[in-house]
Amino acid sequence: MITTTRLSNGLTVIVEEMDHVESASYDVLIPGGLIVDDVATTGASLIFADLLGRGAGDMDSRQLSAAFDSAGIRHGEGVGMDRFSLSGSLVADKLRRAIELLALMIREPSLPDDEIPSIQSVMLQDIAALNDNPARKSMVELTKRYYPAPFNRSSLGEAEGISATTRTTITDLYRRYFVPQRAILSIAGKVRASEVFDWAEQYLGGWMGSSAELPRFGTIAPHRYYPLEVDSAQLQIVMAAPSVKFDEPAYYDGKVAVSLLGASMFGRLFVEVREKRGLCYSVYARHGATTSYGTITAYVGTTPERAQESLDVMLREFDGLRGSVTNEELARAKTNIKATLVMGEESPGSRASSNAGDWWLLGRIRPLSEIAAAIDAVSLASVDAFIERYPFRPCSILTLGRHALEVPAGVAG
Amino acid sequence: MKSQVHKHTLANGLTILGEVNPSNVSAAIGFFVKTGARDEVGVESGVSHFLEHMMFKGTPTRSAIDINFQLGNLGAQANAFTSEENTVYYAGIIPEHFSAMQELLTDMIRPALDPEEFAMEKKVILEEIALYQDRPHFFLFERAFKDYFGEHPAGNSVLGSHDSVSALTREQMKAYFDRRYSPSNMVLAATGNFSWEGFVADAEKMCGGWERYSVGRDTPPYSGKAVEHEFTRKNLSHAHAILIAPGGAAQDEERYALSLLSTVMGDSSGSRMYWDLIHKGLADSASVDSDERDGTGCFLAYVSSTPEQLDEVVKIARGILATPLDFTEDDLERAKSKIVSRIVLDGELPMGRLMALGLEWNYRRETTPLSEVIRRVRAVGRPDIERALIRFPLSDWAEYRLMPE
Repeated sequence: MITTTRLSNGLTVIVEEMDHVESASYDVLIPGGLIVDDVATTGASLIFADLLGRGAGDMDSRQLSAAFDSAGIRHGEGVGMDRFSLSGSLVADKLRRAIELLALMIREPSLPDDEIPSIQSVMLQDIAALNDNPARKSMVELTKRYYPAPFNRSSLGEAEGISATTRTTITDLYRRYFVPQRAILSIAGKVRASEVFDWAEQYLGGWMGSSAELPRFGTIAPHRYYPLEVDSAQLQIVMAAPSVKFDEPAYYDGKVAVSLLGASMFGRLFVEVREKRGLCYSVYARHGATTSYGTITAYVGTTPERAQESLDVMLREFDGLRGSVTNEELARAKTNIKATLVMGEESPGSRASSNAGDWWLLGRIRPLSEIAAAIDAVSLASVDAFIERYPFRPCSILTLGRHALEVPAGVAG
Repeated sequence: MKSQVHKHTLANGLTILGEVNPSNVSAAIGFFVKTGARDEVGVESGVSHFLEHMMFKGTPTRSAIDINFQLGNLGAQANAFTSEENTVYYAGIIPEHFSAMQELLTDMIRPALDPEEFAMEKKVILEEIALYQDRPHFFLFERAFKDYFGEHPAGNSVLGSHDSVSALTREQMKAYFDRRYSPSNMVLAATGNFSWEGFVADAEKMCGGWERYSVGRDTPPYSGKAVEHEFTRKNLSHAHAILIAPGGAAQDEERYALSLLSTVMGDSSGSRMYWDLIHKGLADSASVDSDERDGTGCFLAYVSSTPEQLDEVVKIARGILATPLDFTEDDLERAKSKIVSRIVLDGELPMGRLMALGLEWNYRRETTPLSEVIRRVRAVGRPDIERALIRFPLSDWAEYRLMPE
């Protein structure tokens, strides 16, 4: 059972009681993230999130770490494009302690000046190491070119911005964005909602502040082909094109259509590129959406001499989808999306994050039956209507490898 | 956690294990075959993993596409993996499709090995090998283990090389299958929301006819070697190092003590490696693991940093490894809390429980309830770690580095 309440400071608290587990998970979402960094200090938000775990209240870094570890709480503080997130999982009888520590990190972080240089050092190393992971690098590079600033930022930050960050940058981020007004605390597991609400009020009720404006999503750049040359064993091909947003009625038409192409094992890309031609190990297409934008992304990694054929086959599959989907294929894609949803039901971690995500995007939590009904309502006609509206043409394409590929006229703008 | 583990053995030696939990929303099912890279001989390098792929490429009654589509129709979350010592085929499934999933999985592991599919899948494997060539960290692990274990089979490469896989024939794969996939060399396990009686009855029907033959595995001990070796690569941005010393086997009682010791020394947070290397900004990765294998094992540390800093990072890591008893009672208790919490969290989901159950059987021919595992972790004290260190002194380290050319 899911219960929600809103504290007087604006913090929304969501609790899902799950009796069949022994554990609990929490997820806190706070508006902010990579997009709120100043251009000159891009990546400061990452340093800020790391600093949250390095001392709070009268505990220093080691004491705070020991407090979490003693209670067996696995926790992480992270940064998304438009949010800060704090998450954790634990044996449920430690939940009160978890909320207490969480509240301390949120309300009284030490943000120690003397720990900033070491965090900067690790983050600069991570940026350098991106060159040793071409699949991830290709996605970061396409994101930079496809999305409008500041929604195009690398999840690793930028070397210059990280180096330029000072404690003042960090405390400014904290003061402006770490506020309860539009924040969410989502908890799922073997817990009692009434108890959780009491603890949330006790530890987080006094947290104060109102939200600053966040940057709005602009217009995506004109589509292009971006060939990047590096000497690697495989050539990476990534593509992106606009799609339906999360809160639009056609959302599940888009999700199903992309699953028809991109699902592992039975999607058309897997069957045509990998199974029938043996061109790659990894190929997929995914649908991602917020209430501001939706995106279809596709990926294949393949050796350079087979890259052109891989790209050609993928484009052909995208082009050939409309009007060719069978009832059996449609049923398979729908079954799969629903099965993933149902299986996610039993994990406190996935429930806490899914509830938080729904609230974040919609201001409410959709019951499973509503999502299932929306998936059931997808038909061959609605899939075709979606493809007509979002034909994946033109799209942006980026390749990273030994040579550039031939992209047919009209494909990438 | 109160669930009971059921066990049944078919006449042909197939072990069937199950832990039923009706409050789970789903079930998990899998075959755990006790075979992997270490069981390959000579030209077979890479065949275990290649064969794992071929299980998805058709049976006498199903084509590859039939398998893919049926997995989709069942809404199964199915996959497989191959390691040095195990090959595992598994699926998460909703209860109403459990029986159909069991039938499909059972059919899959009696593959047709169609020559055309064999040739096609070989290309996929070669792409997978190319993919890992672009991951320096993976490259170093493979090279380091190969050198460290030398002639001992524990160092065999799971993927094999471009040349070894290119040269593999269908007949060699069939011979490997016939040698290793005896029902007596595998366990069929299920966890979560399913019927034990139905599961056993179906297994009897579907697997009872499989022919039994004896399968062995040599598990020679390995005493390790202290060497230093540096590999280099072009276009490398980051430097990596692995340190390896003899450690406990999966069958050794010391495994609980060694696991706790590795958590104290090198867990991702709050460990000695974390405080001395990552927290100080010297390394971006630093970990210690007790890698327990069949009849042998090793204790290993991994670090990565800028090429300029690697000397200093390795020196600090070696300092930590040289002083394993440098921890307090509080440090040990915190490590226990972390491990216990992980056991509870992994164990409450069918897939997490399935993996623990199947792999434990392959290594120790026993099933330990989670509550007992937790009790044993909690019972470890400093004297247990001291005793483990007498047997495994962590004094002779092999060191492997990967540096830019």
